[in-house]
Amino acid sequence: METMGTVTPISSVFPAEEAQKASRRVQDTIAEREQQLDQLKGFINDNVSVINLVQKLPDETHHNIMVPFGKAAFFPGRLIHTNEFMVLLGEGYYAERTAKQTIDILKRRGKALETKVESLKAIMQDLEAEASFFDATAQESAEGLVEIREDYVGEASSGAETAGYGKSDSTSSLEVDARKAAVEDEEYTRIFSRIDELEKEEEEAEKANESDEDERKQNELDSTIREMSVHQEVRSSPVQAIDAAKAPEAPAVSKDGSSRRDCPPPKSSTMNKVLELPEEKKKVQAPPTTSNMAFTGSIIEHAHNIGMNMPEQQTGARSSKPVSRFKMQRK
Amino acid sequence: MDSAKQDKVRKFEEFVDRRLKPDLVHAIAQRDKVFEQQKIFSDLRRNIENLEKNSVTSLRTLVNLGSEVYMQADVPDTRHIFVDVGLGFHVEFTWSEALDFVAAREEKLSRQIEEYTRLIASIKAQIKMVCEGIRELLQLPVTEL
Repeated sequence: METMGTVTPISSVFPAEEAQKASRRVQDTIAEREQQLDQLKGFINDNVSVINLVQKLPDETHHNIMVPFGKAAFFPGRLIHTNEFMVLLGEGYYAERTAKQTIDILKRRGKALETKVESLKAIMQDLEAEASFFDATAQESAEGLVEIREDYVGEASSGAETAGYGKSDSTSSLEVDARKAAVEDEEYTRIFSRIDELEKEEEEAEKANESDEDERKQNELDSTIREMSVHQEVRSSPVQAIDAAKAPEAPAVSKDGSSRRDCPPPKSSTMNKVLELPEEKKKVQAPPTTSNMAFTGSIIEHAHNIGMNMPEQQTGARSSKPVSRFKMQRK
Repeated sequence: MDSAKQDKVRKFEEFVDRRLKPDLVHAIAQRDKVFEQQKIFSDLRRNIENLEKNSVTSLRTLVNLGSEVYMQADVPDTRHIFVDVGLGFHVEFTWSEALDFVAAREEKLSRQIEEYTRLIASIKAQIKMVCEGIRELLQLPVTEL
């Protein structure tokens, strides 16, 4: 049995300057789109003025104008046949239309332009969201945020473990994990002996309702493991107290509802890293949704307020709730 | 010594990238504009010559109203033509006067193009020279490009 807990500083996965680069690139794309948007708006304005012109040209039989002759010369002349327009339909085809028909064509063209503008605006909104996400990542990375990720650990299924682990974690954390395995083993034998004790106590306490002994055991195990980790480690040292606080919320995700569960991370060097962080912030990414999915979600936290308010609130609620809900489901 | 050399190389490279290359791009853009003008006037000359040859005195043409919408226009008398002389002024010419003007204008434009071509060549030469200087500073072997 080994833990899959890993602490990955975000800056190692997404270095700040890389994230900034990405954000800058997205900003460039936004600027490009803005130009396109301006161009489209120019087309729309042109279209409107042409519609106005076409509307009032047939009011008279002829208009005196300067007829362009090439780009640099003009002849004095006049417009004739003021109700006949040649309109480009596309691909070099022109149609002769009256003023009214021309206006209809131009209005349809205007509508097409409007839809283009709309879609462009939607794209730009997406890009802006992306840019702000990159900015946020860059900032978090610069602040030294860490991601704590723990995988579900099955009771005896090491094969399943590694599979689940590979799914949810990056390769770098796998390596970290391998290194930690040896240190953790000892810790876990201790933890599990404690679990057994607590299990017995609880079994005696609630003999009343059970149908499926095995399943119930697992749930109890779930809760006791949390309680235990909190109690044990709160006793020992402040560093471990923080471990305990994190442990109940930190485990990673698995939706298969099997017998896997999370274990508190050991007081290894990775944990201490968290303490050194200057600023704190925490983020719960995926709160548990159903009762038979034990504790899911990965958490990112910074170190200060953890010691004070986390342990009681989080662990208390977690340790009691899943068991009872699960039982209700079984009935 | 070594850091001083690197400093120098960096300075040279900056000069090429920040000064010479933008200058080159600008000069090329200017020359393209003049080319465009030249094309406009040579078209005009050809058109007027055509009118003269066919002795066209009245003309019916299509005028672009914008957005590729055209309307017929009638020119009753083509013997008087208004030519853009620059700064938004148009001068009324007869055909022969217009041709004289266009010839003078074309000559001036081709002189301008010559000038720009020379300028572009000299900027390119400067870039080449600075690059060569960098190469010597770094004592790299001569590479034929």
